[in-house]
Amino acid sequence: MSKKLSKKTLNKAFWNWFFWNGCSQQAESMLGMGFGQSMAPVIEELYDTKEEKAEALERHITLFNTEAQVGSVCNGIVCGMEEANANGQCTPEVISSVKVALIGPTSAIGDSLWVATIIPILLTICLSIAQGASASLSWTGALLYLVVYPVLTCLLSRRLFYFGYKSGLEGMSKFMTTGKMDILTNSMNFLGLLVVGALSASFVACSIPFQIVKDVFDVETGETLADQVIFNADTMLDGIFPKLIPLLLVLGVYYLYAKKKWSPMKLMGVILVLAAVLTAIGYLTGYYV
Amino acid sequence: MNMIQVIAIAFFIYLGSIGSIVGNTIGWYALGRPLVAAFIVGLIMGDVQTAMIIGIPLQIMYMGNVTPGGAVAWDLSYATYIGTAGALVFGKNMDATQLIGLAVVFAGIGGLVGQIMWNVSYALNLPLNRIADKYARQGDTRKMYIPNVVYGQLIGFACRFIPAVILLSSMTAVSSQGDFASMIPGWVTTMLGTFGGMMAALGMGIILSFLLKKKWQICIFLLGFVMVTYLSLNTMAVAVIATLLAVVYYVFQMGQKEEEKA
Repeated sequence: MSKKLSKKTLNKAFWNWFFWNGCSQQAESMLGMGFGQSMAPVIEELYDTKEEKAEALERHITLFNTEAQVGSVCNGIVCGMEEANANGQCTPEVISSVKVALIGPTSAIGDSLWVATIIPILLTICLSIAQGASASLSWTGALLYLVVYPVLTCLLSRRLFYFGYKSGLEGMSKFMTTGKMDILTNSMNFLGLLVVGALSASFVACSIPFQIVKDVFDVETGETLADQVIFNADTMLDGIFPKLIPLLLVLGVYYLYAKKKWSPMKLMGVILVLAAVLTAIGYLTGYYV
Repeated sequence: MNMIQVIAIAFFIYLGSIGSIVGNTIGWYALGRPLVAAFIVGLIMGDVQTAMIIGIPLQIMYMGNVTPGGAVAWDLSYATYIGTAGALVFGKNMDATQLIGLAVVFAGIGGLVGQIMWNVSYALNLPLNRIADKYARQGDTRKMYIPNVVYGQLIGFACRFIPAVILLSSMTAVSSQGDFASMIPGWVTTMLGTFGGMMAALGMGIILSFLLKKKWQICIFLLGFVMVTYLSLNTMAVAVIATLLAVVYYVFQMGQKEEEKA
């Protein structure tokens, strides 16, 4: 009689992973121990002797790393393969090599599509809500994110886990070649870029604290008007393109981070120096009093 | 801050750190985000409105901090909770710009501690592999949670909660020494305000590097920018328009794909 994993065991494997994948993250096996814990109920159900269990456990606490939320698909696939192995249709060597092979693609999709796209977009939408709402209600944006993100991710992660279990490695590679993923990513990118543009214009603030103030003699009335602003750097720049300096600052950071590979810490230091210089200019020219 | 508030905030710093007991999805990715952190600190300290004034710019600043496995990984929750709490404690009678500047400084201090503690826990977790090896060799499936959850969490909790309590209580002790808003010289608060406004560019620039896949896409970003500057729309309005356009774009692309097939 062939062995089949029960729904209860599969659920256990998923929840173990969902909550505790990163509990003991370190440089030796990365998420290996978390993966081992996720597989433990599966191994318990599939294998009978201590020796078999030990062998199976040992192959699942080795190095494993992925973007864990999307990476639940790996757990699903491995559950399916362990089941096949217990029925003599797969070998431990294949399981181990598939696991290693899954690290790359699942990390790439998880990091680029979910973590670096969905999170910022969801955050920007919630930020817009927080900022758009009246001050006493701006917490709604925060609460919305706190509820929507975990629920959405949990549903996706669970679905991917069962998808991996049912369709296995072939199912995953089939899905990845349909191109639907690219279309979804493109649309998400479009949404994200538009909102990031709006957020930059609303939140990045940087002005040139420089103006020329003089007493002006008015020819028509024959009076001297005191402290008239003759030249203001911000007014002039805004006349050319509103918020030009903040825009240049964002693009500058993007250029240095993406193209010149500056670290965020270094960028932060440069911004601090710039802020100090601007403040000094402001005080020296009498802009700030 | 009283002792209960210190403990509550320190506990949330732990929950929002990488690999806490509630999982990264609820912890690091939700409770650890500055927007959520500000809301929680606001609830604990009884001033949600001011906390949100700080939380929104902090979130924009730290927008790019998203990968817990990457080279820039560190406990964001330290920066966000300590930043908000510091601004609330020290920033009485300050205006919004100065508050944000102050929050940035405290977030920097918290972030530094967070970075150190993350590296410490990362190193302390290493010997756990030997315990996992031992249980695995015995084939003891029921004990596999011990190295991962039990010991992993003891280390994680100790590394986050204890330093946070020390940091927060010393902040409280210092703040009771006097009225800081009047002690800090004017040029410092001016500079902090300028710094806070400029730091938003950091988060936005890093996010751009994730989202910009092709050069022409910079136009989409600029479109969002001028929708605010020229058309005076608020960000919420742009978000709604962006969502609608994204759906149209999705359907359009799917249609094109169908045509290709046919």
